[in-house]
Amino acid sequence: MITAVRKPFCEIREMVAPYESLLVVGCATCVAECASGGEKEVAILSSQLRMDATLRGKKLEVGETTLDRQCVYEFIDRLSPLVGKYEAILSLACGAGVQAFSEIFPEAIVLPGLDTTFLGQTREAGLWLENCRGCGSCKLQWFASICPIARCAKRLLNGPCGGSKGGQCEVDPQVPCAWNMIVERLRKFGKLELLEDIYPPCDWSLAQGRGPRKIQREDQAIETI
Amino acid sequence: MIEPDQEARIAFFFCQRLDPGQDKNRRSLEMEFGPSVVFYPMPCGGRVETIHLLRALEGGADRVVVITCPRGQCRYGEGNLRAQKRLKYAKNLVHEIGLEPERLEFRAVPLVSASRIDEIIRPILLEPWNLGPSPLRRVPRKR
Repeated sequence: MITAVRKPFCEIREMVAPYESLLVVGCATCVAECASGGEKEVAILSSQLRMDATLRGKKLEVGETTLDRQCVYEFIDRLSPLVGKYEAILSLACGAGVQAFSEIFPEAIVLPGLDTTFLGQTREAGLWLENCRGCGSCKLQWFASICPIARCAKRLLNGPCGGSKGGQCEVDPQVPCAWNMIVERLRKFGKLELLEDIYPPCDWSLAQGRGPRKIQREDQAIETI
Repeated sequence: MIEPDQEARIAFFFCQRLDPGQDKNRRSLEMEFGPSVVFYPMPCGGRVETIHLLRALEGGADRVVVITCPRGQCRYGEGNLRAQKRLKYAKNLVHEIGLEPERLEFRAVPLVSASRIDEIIRPILLEPWNLGPSPLRRVPRKR
């Protein structure tokens, strides 16, 4: 899941200041799960914007809608009848959603309402943790399904560092030591011998090293005749 | 203190379990205070969402009060705690736009078999209230 947090209200207020009509567009997938850009958050931010405008004596019409996904053409395209009616779009999607939206509606002013943060999991209600860096070469099979790149503060592939105390990280004692978890899980599965191997450094050229990445699959593409 | 003929508008969100007879018992207040007091009975305090509180303010309420049972007495576990957390969150949102967070209030009332919602709410209506009308009211209400 892509996680995000809402931008500070003062920043949003400044962004939308030039406009008198605004469509707030949420995304019901990742950012809804992390309670920053779903239908509820669209309603909350829209209400805040309307009240703020009233308090400042400003005219502002705020529309609200939420798409199932804001990063896929077929979903974004459904807003064709609405987009032209507003001066600007305030997108509560991740950065990918904001850009997809502006690509599909090139004439529209699309503003980001969220700060996209990381790939993570919902650990419990109200708690989201980063656990994937999208390095482009998953190594979880060696590390008992715990990623040392994302979850070890030192990103060690040949750990542990030795600084862990009571199973907690020495960099941040509030965070469990990833390598402690790796060792414990390898022990549980009887695979401690994996610790004897030397793992090569992560090839970061597979991540952002060559600019924006793309995935292209012929079997998924629509045939053009 | 809110007199029946004053302009103040108060929205009460409350757990119906505080008074199973609330539907009947709140009528006396509705008759006395008219549209100045609006009631939103909830099946549990946990049903209250942040957006409900914002919409009440946006709709022109001067004061929004959430009433639940105290910690440890929620039939459904932690509805009262959720209501309190959401109200706290709503206070931050309200503060961001420059409105007084004190317009949102949380009250925990002991769950006793003889409680009546009008007897719970009347003392709240009689309390001193200094914030005055909400600046969000664009058009003064007609009497």
